[in-house]
Amino acid sequence: METFSQLNPTLLIAAIFTPIVVGLILLAGKSLPRSFSSAFAFLGFALPAVIAIWLFLPCSEAFGSPLKLRVTGLWGFNLGLNGISSPLFAMTAVVGLAAGIKALIQEVESRNTYLGLILFMLGGTLGVFATDNIVGFYFFHEFALIPTFILTLYWGGEGRRSAAMQMAIYLTVGAMLSLAGILIAMSAAGLSLGEATFVKLFLALHTPQISLPTATAAITLFGFGTLASLFPFHSWAAPGYSAAPTPVSMIHAGALKKFGLYGIIIIAAASMNLGQGSLSNWFLICAVANVVIAGLICLAQRDLKQLISWSSVAHMGPIFLGIWVCTSRGVAAGLDAAIFLMVAHGLSCAALFLLANAVRTRTGTYRFDELGGLAKHTPILAACFIAATMASVGLPGFGNFWGEIGVFLSLKGEPLWLQALIASTVVISAVYSLRAVASVFFGPVSKEITERFSIAPFKDLSGAERLATFVLLGASLVIGFAPHLITRHTNEDAEGLAKIAKIKKALSNSANPSVR
Amino acid sequence: MDPLQSLHWILFLPLISAAIIALFLRRQGFIAAWFSTATAFVIAGLALNLLLTTQGKIGWHYDLAKLGEISLGFGYLLDANARLMLFVVSFVAAWIHLFSIGYMQDDEARGRFFGGLSIFMFSILGIVLADNLLMTFIFWELVGFSSYMLIAHYFDKDFAAAASKKAFITNRVGDLGFILGIAFCLKQYGTLNFEALSAVSSFQGFPVVVGLLLMCGFLGKSAQFPLHVWLTDAMAGPTPVSALIHAATMVAAGVYFMARVSFLLAPEVLQWMAVSGAGMAALAGLCALAQTDIKKSLAYSTLAHLGIMGCALGLGHPELAVLHMAMHAFFKATLFLGAGSVIHGCHHEQDMLKMGGLLKKMPITAATFIAATLSNCAVPFFAGWYSKDAIIEAAWHQNHYAIFAFLALAALATCLYSGRMLRLVFLGQPQSKNAEHAHESPWTMTTPIIILGLGYSIAAGFATDALIPASARQVIAKPLQEMAFHLNAPATWVGLLALTFGLLGSLKFYGIFPGRDSLQVFSPQTYKLLEYRYFDHAYRWYINHIQRRLAEFIAFLDLLIINGLAVRWIAGGFTAALGQITSRTFHRGQARGYAVWITLGSLLFIWFLLAR
Repeated sequence: METFSQLNPTLLIAAIFTPIVVGLILLAGKSLPRSFSSAFAFLGFALPAVIAIWLFLPCSEAFGSPLKLRVTGLWGFNLGLNGISSPLFAMTAVVGLAAGIKALIQEVESRNTYLGLILFMLGGTLGVFATDNIVGFYFFHEFALIPTFILTLYWGGEGRRSAAMQMAIYLTVGAMLSLAGILIAMSAAGLSLGEATFVKLFLALHTPQISLPTATAAITLFGFGTLASLFPFHSWAAPGYSAAPTPVSMIHAGALKKFGLYGIIIIAAASMNLGQGSLSNWFLICAVANVVIAGLICLAQRDLKQLISWSSVAHMGPIFLGIWVCTSRGVAAGLDAAIFLMVAHGLSCAALFLLANAVRTRTGTYRFDELGGLAKHTPILAACFIAATMASVGLPGFGNFWGEIGVFLSLKGEPLWLQALIASTVVISAVYSLRAVASVFFGPVSKEITERFSIAPFKDLSGAERLATFVLLGASLVIGFAPHLITRHTNEDAEGLAKIAKIKKALSNSANPSVR
Repeated sequence: MDPLQSLHWILFLPLISAAIIALFLRRQGFIAAWFSTATAFVIAGLALNLLLTTQGKIGWHYDLAKLGEISLGFGYLLDANARLMLFVVSFVAAWIHLFSIGYMQDDEARGRFFGGLSIFMFSILGIVLADNLLMTFIFWELVGFSSYMLIAHYFDKDFAAAASKKAFITNRVGDLGFILGIAFCLKQYGTLNFEALSAVSSFQGFPVVVGLLLMCGFLGKSAQFPLHVWLTDAMAGPTPVSALIHAATMVAAGVYFMARVSFLLAPEVLQWMAVSGAGMAALAGLCALAQTDIKKSLAYSTLAHLGIMGCALGLGHPELAVLHMAMHAFFKATLFLGAGSVIHGCHHEQDMLKMGGLLKKMPITAATFIAATLSNCAVPFFAGWYSKDAIIEAAWHQNHYAIFAFLALAALATCLYSGRMLRLVFLGQPQSKNAEHAHESPWTMTTPIIILGLGYSIAAGFATDALIPASARQVIAKPLQEMAFHLNAPATWVGLLALTFGLLGSLKFYGIFPGRDSLQVFSPQTYKLLEYRYFDHAYRWYINHIQRRLAEFIAFLDLLIINGLAVRWIAGGFTAALGQITSRTFHRGQARGYAVWITLGSLLFIWFLLAR
């Protein structure tokens, strides 16, 4: 991530600011005619996806390398993509497109405001992954997060008030804590906010004179961890996703949440002393708890959306572990796999939220005991849901497989019991996911569904819903069959970070031979 | 076509077929069925061609991507074992596809069914061809998925839904060990490639742990003790699925894989496989006596044969295991297809006690079923005799008398349940309306059982030369030669005694009480003992009393401690610290409270920006 080359500023700016501008216009023109606002909003959702995919695929390299891109943007924000952020940027745009399609077919009050706020969320999330400095990073994050709260509060489902409140507290505190840590580090390094790019922060903190107290790194790490629902700072996540309107859960759980993970990778791990000492062990314990405890909590769920929300917390575990094994053991494969899983999880989890809501709009419920036998009435919905479930349990063919197996294999140097504990997620996730599939779609048709169907007959997945599902699962299949599409971006940076981790480890070992 | 090209076609044709069916032919069941069947026959033709025209090892490798230093490899390794397996799988599968056209004639979801079969073909062929552990694992998982999908074919039945879930999860438990084994190989030897690993093995042995871990995958997929519980439930799927996946190919893939990595297995692992395999064979064979569902009885028979194959692996004879796998594939596929034909003919009656007298009504089915049964019982010079007796004899020669005794018991049990099956289904009087009105099946169903049953079950043994091409015989040539005439060996005596007393005895015994199970009448306790659901009960107890309670307890703790006390307390303390105004807003309306939080956060942020 050291070098950025000047390239294609217009495309990147267009990808981030089209949704924001479209969102502004929709917010301002509350009485715009429906067909116009729909078409206009669709432009705001689709254009970033087209551009991001173009920048992501090898074909754009006719213009030179897209991996290291830096643009001097509007109002002094510098924009750029690096090896770690460019797959995330592309994933965000794809999830945004699917969420947009979902939002467009929803019937809601004050539709233009609703669409406008979702567009803001998308623009902000895209900005998070396309910025190269601290100010832009936090600005775009807040820019995406504030609409998230508002959307959850006014358009959310059951329990939205307390969920939005809890989410607001957690995420504000998490973001502020991580920022506080960074500010302390910056003052130690003598950097001002205006000039604090990721690269400068990194270089400044790696001069030998500077030594940061562990507490500084800790608040940054766990601040970011809170945003990515690291155990035990995860309590906001499941109710938050469950209460939010579906497009919001899709963008938030799929893409925006990865802000915290990206922050851990690019700031906490790269710059601060994350990899060594007790902090690293604490991080490991929390990450394993994510896998095991959140996984067990999933087993106890009785409600489809709650289950998907909790599983989204549980699936963060392997990602944390991949990051951990790279930063503390210097295993590059861990980071490669973690990023792969971040992308794949974004796609599969968005698809699950989308399809779970399709169940809800038809049957009026998320509860397992009221559902059953739905495959009889909606075979395509059932097939898509099973496909999304299989993606999320890491079936080969979908991107999640490479991420999960990559994390397991990168942990090969750890003790066997620890590996077994972590790999137990392949069983636990299969248990709760297949139980959900069976109780929603298989078996005889439930009494509630029969009643509902006789009053208001419902149809199988509509064209728009199919398109949104196809976009998400198609993208997951593409990276599943051609994993190099992701790794060609990430390999170099992952190796760089692993090398730093190894050097740090060697240094701390020689400085402190008694400690391992 | 050059061999590499045909390998590509063999592997990817079924995937193409599945994709086309999923996208375009979901509602055109008839076209989908024939399309899928045609690809299966093309694959069988290509596999046969490879078998006849190629020699030695053919390898090809391509790295899909790199995760750090781990390369994600994709490649083929076609050696003698793989050639035989490729031939058996594609040949049996092609005929089962044809059979399914007749069997699934009235099914509305034919498109889904044949799409599933095509995905299964893709997955199993991937296992056969894989040249490294990671690729094997990938297709291993895909096989599990296609099995899940096909067991759940009648998803509106509760038992099918439960059985599919059980099969997938049990397999995943095995795969957990498999993954750890892969990680171990990678750490210790830096490679996952079979050839490279076997090169390592030539100058150093492998530790026990790696063999144990890889064996877990085999235990799951081949339904070996203690992960055998899913196979009998898996019979909830359509009968051709039971024939193809849960008898002939998928469960045998575990045996094939173990034979392929047999150099990785330490002596202790082999010991365990031999003992547990022999025990499994005897136990499952006896349990087949207490099943009235014809498919479940056959499923226990499959378990028994898988135990025998596992035992052969454990005795250090992977080539015998592969031979028995091939022979078993032919006769067990015939038995299942014959059962399918019977079920189809009797209007979906599966209870053997309600059948009877089908010999006259379904002569072709009966003839092929009897032929395959004789092969199953290892009547001398039938296909099953060559492979099974060789394994029993191997146990004797290596002085493993306990294993020999178990295998002898298994041979006796095989004859007992086979005789029972013949007696109840084909002889005597029809015991229900459905059996009275039974009819012979259409040609699409009888052709496959004639080919597989009469052709391969009887003749594969002594007419091996004609039926199995020379290059495939390479693997099995040695054992076949050693086994050709061994009429005075102990195994032969055991076999003949078992045959005489077992088969003839049970033919007589089960005729005593028409419409009832004679064993159940004579000794209900024994019958109940053999129904054997102990492990299912034990696992269910674990799930209900331990796993579920633990999950609920942890969810409760999370709610109480992390979410409730800690968070509320901290949040409350925070609010109190921020003063009266905030706290009052808190109480009056959460909307405003939240607005305050956002404002505070933004102010804090702006302050940070300005203060620098």
